[in-house]
Amino acid sequence: MAVTLQDDELIAKLQARDESALEALMVQYQARVFGLALRLTGNRQDAEEVLQDVFLAVFQKIGGFRGDSKLSSWIYRITTNAALMKLRKRPKVKEIPLAEELGPAMTDEGMIAEPVVDWSRLPNDELDRKELGQRIEQAMNLLPADYRSVVVLRDVEGLSEQEACEILSLSEAALKSRLHRGRLFLRKQLADYAVSQTGVNPGPQHV
Amino acid sequence: MFRCRDVGQLLYEYVEERLEPPVSQQLEQHLADCPGCLAFINTYKQTMRLSHELRCDDIPQELQQKLRSFIKTKLSSARPSFWDRLRSRLTGT
Repeated sequence: MAVTLQDDELIAKLQARDESALEALMVQYQARVFGLALRLTGNRQDAEEVLQDVFLAVFQKIGGFRGDSKLSSWIYRITTNAALMKLRKRPKVKEIPLAEELGPAMTDEGMIAEPVVDWSRLPNDELDRKELGQRIEQAMNLLPADYRSVVVLRDVEGLSEQEACEILSLSEAALKSRLHRGRLFLRKQLADYAVSQTGVNPGPQHV
Repeated sequence: MFRCRDVGQLLYEYVEERLEPPVSQQLEQHLADCPGCLAFINTYKQTMRLSHELRCDDIPQELQQKLRSFIKTKLSSARPSFWDRLRSRLTGT
């Protein structure tokens, strides 16, 4: 059973080509790398290949690791790049609609012009949460790579804005706009599904 | 007076808790009177929660083994074998 090592100790041992440190690294990061790869590629086979390539690349490239970022960020970056390479090989997904088009229609006065259903408050027997979980997974796979990578790092993995910007080499502004649009897209997909399932009529009070 | 459109434009900053307290309070006042905006914000936040539930923390045992045998093969093929070392010593390369 491998012990958990501190990052600097782990890096030093890996740089000295210590293969037992590689085992410790895998124990520490394999689940995160696989999980991230799975969400980014949306495909188990691709995620498996990414997992293997990442640890090999980490071991091969660790000599050049200067500690400018955290070890975890560096590994996430390698994982993200490897996963995005897989996505780029697939047929391109169409662009998603603009933020304004993903929100409710507005009147000329800037007020909401259509009913909005609050499906977040529906009990489980009216809207199955498990089904909703499957829907968001499908919707995530519809997101173009640029949006998906941001949503996965921030909302799925829960990384900080700074870390996500660093991993994706994005400005804060670019990250914000992609994340917001990505969330709006997912929300719309879930809303369409929720309304189709429950047939909830929000009534005039929601207009 | 806040309009629904303003809420839409400030939604991201509001959810990320980046708004100045007075702006945030104004937005919340609008929410108290506007079921449509409230429903939109609630479902936006719910979408974020559902995304987070997609985080996958398990890696199947068989995949862990596959990873290790892959690494082992790659590392041993990268390492020069006894015959490689002998050949290079004999040929002086």
